[in-house]
Amino acid sequence: MITLKHPLIIVVGAGGVGKTTLAAALALEKARSGDDTLVMTFDPSLRLKDTLGIGEHEDADEVEVDAGTSGRLTASLLDARRTFDRLIESYAPDEETKKRILSNRFYDHLSGSLAGMMEYMASERLFEVANSGRFDTIILDTPPTRQALDFLQAPERIVGFLDTGGPKMAAKSWFDTEGKLRATKKLGILGRNVEAFFDRMVGLELLRDMAEFFQAFAPFFDGFRERALEVQKLLRSPDTVFVLISGPGPQRVADTLFFARKLKEAGYHLGPVIVNRVHPGEVQTGMVPPGTERDGRQLLKWLGSRDAEGVNHLRDLLGTSHQLVELGLRMDEPTDIKALGELGATLLG
Amino acid sequence: MRSNNTLARLLELELIVVTGKGGVGKSSVSAVLGRLLSDAGRQTLLVEVDPRENLHHLLDVPPSGGEMVEVAPRLHVQHLLPRTILDDLVREKLKVGALVKRVLASPIHQQFTEAAPGLKEAAVFGRCLRLLEGHGPRGIPTPDVIILDAPATGHGASWLGAAQLVSDVISSGPIGHMASLVANFLADADRSGVAVVTTGEEMPVQETLEFLETMVTRLNRRPEVVIANALYPELTEDPADDPDDSLLDLWAHRRAINEEELERLSQEWQGPVAHLPLLPLDPGPALVGRLARHLKTELGGGA
Repeated sequence: MITLKHPLIIVVGAGGVGKTTLAAALALEKARSGDDTLVMTFDPSLRLKDTLGIGEHEDADEVEVDAGTSGRLTASLLDARRTFDRLIESYAPDEETKKRILSNRFYDHLSGSLAGMMEYMASERLFEVANSGRFDTIILDTPPTRQALDFLQAPERIVGFLDTGGPKMAAKSWFDTEGKLRATKKLGILGRNVEAFFDRMVGLELLRDMAEFFQAFAPFFDGFRERALEVQKLLRSPDTVFVLISGPGPQRVADTLFFARKLKEAGYHLGPVIVNRVHPGEVQTGMVPPGTERDGRQLLKWLGSRDAEGVNHLRDLLGTSHQLVELGLRMDEPTDIKALGELGATLLG
Repeated sequence: MRSNNTLARLLELELIVVTGKGGVGKSSVSAVLGRLLSDAGRQTLLVEVDPRENLHHLLDVPPSGGEMVEVAPRLHVQHLLPRTILDDLVREKLKVGALVKRVLASPIHQQFTEAAPGLKEAAVFGRCLRLLEGHGPRGIPTPDVIILDAPATGHGASWLGAAQLVSDVISSGPIGHMASLVANFLADADRSGVAVVTTGEEMPVQETLEFLETMVTRLNRRPEVVIANALYPELTEDPADDPDDSLLDLWAHRRAINEEELERLSQEWQGPVAHLPLLPLDPGPALVGRLARHLKTELGGGA
């Protein structure tokens, strides 16, 4: 159906459309064709974890999948928190900084809430393996996000965040030697009022703790920026292709088009669009929804017509610039090697 | 298990948080609950925090960008923006225009509200609490119950724990005070509850089970109900009778997956489960109305 020769394939789409399964299927087929292949995934189902063997080795970064492929098939389960911890372990300039960060009472929560930090960590990991030259093909499954492009934009957001204030201010230290807020001091009486306000609202103690956290992080910021820019270059390189997965039905069309447009605007190379789990059938005009809810055959006919309409609509709107591929709803969800292999062969066959 | 008093219980609550894996129909089920409770006489406010305003679309009201909008008698919907709530808090507490401008423009305020763990989430709950206490816009009735269409389960647990977290780190001042009120409110089983939405498929059920565990271990609470959405109808024919009937075969397989997953759910969750069918209707008020009737029956409220 489709051809993907790129060394880096990024699978994107809204939550619940089957990204992880399709990423695994593509990887399996690539490995069968002889490529040494890595599939990086975030959130596989228990069965898929078992199939890939990443269930038993939660602590391992990479697991070899024994699927009888001619190329090596490796699976990697991304755990952002672990990557984050490791990053601090390996980049902290000294023991003391490391300790300061890991023992800060905000670390646990901030590492999760700091805009895009987790996603950034994942892309950093991607950069690492892409540069290692150990694989012919890397397939990256992207994490479920509310805003579809969060993951891809994380590195840019981090750079933006670094350039606009926050950490710069943190690096400068929020407080002077008398324990007064620097940012408000130069404002005179007004500044003292602002400081009093912060104190009354959240307590200066808390601000001090947060400031310390950011300061402890300051030594990382330059490295972050450098690597974030490298990751962006990698994501926009002609060697990288994005495969966009969509759910069926007219409601998904708008989401998918939005996603496609955003990807292109951001300068990424959008390859094929895959509409997954399409109910079988054709558009039937003037079909009245069946009166009874209990008739599964009528329901499936209606769903088939609805999905066909959605696919047609999407095809019209996408134009000829992108290949649109439909995958039918299967009898069972593909979770074992055999079913994944069939799916992969269908896609890349 | 179907519980006969689940509906009665939901009718007593002041806040129902609806969560579940992405793509399972959280917004639809929130709208359905809103319809059900307002039909039963409760003054109901649906709150969404996702900028796409799916709830507005489902209820066929124009996007509001934050205004409270009337949908039907006793039913309103509002899109709450956490950032706006926090800025409003500054305006309310400071009152002096020049100071407000300074604080809002201050990098400390901006960075703090972005990075402070749990603050934005706690602020949404804080606003809900104030609305319930009658501090809403003039001319709009005070809600008896708020239904919050919360983010997906992964984030849902951190939403529910946010207020406690804020309250732990900020002990004094208006924010600390608000956070501790919210934390108590969310811990109070007589006032607030959680509904988890899933489908009869592997990943959503898996995430539901993980969320249930998190709720018990971290929050010491259990959801009021798990709502299994978009289920294929029960089989009424035997596929063995006609092996060439591919639609019947697909129906049988998809229904079997639903049953298997619901069975797996019931192994670990003995509380109430409500089943909602996959219906041949596009998202919108008609679908919401039909599902509300189903949910009423499922929750023990009669047909």
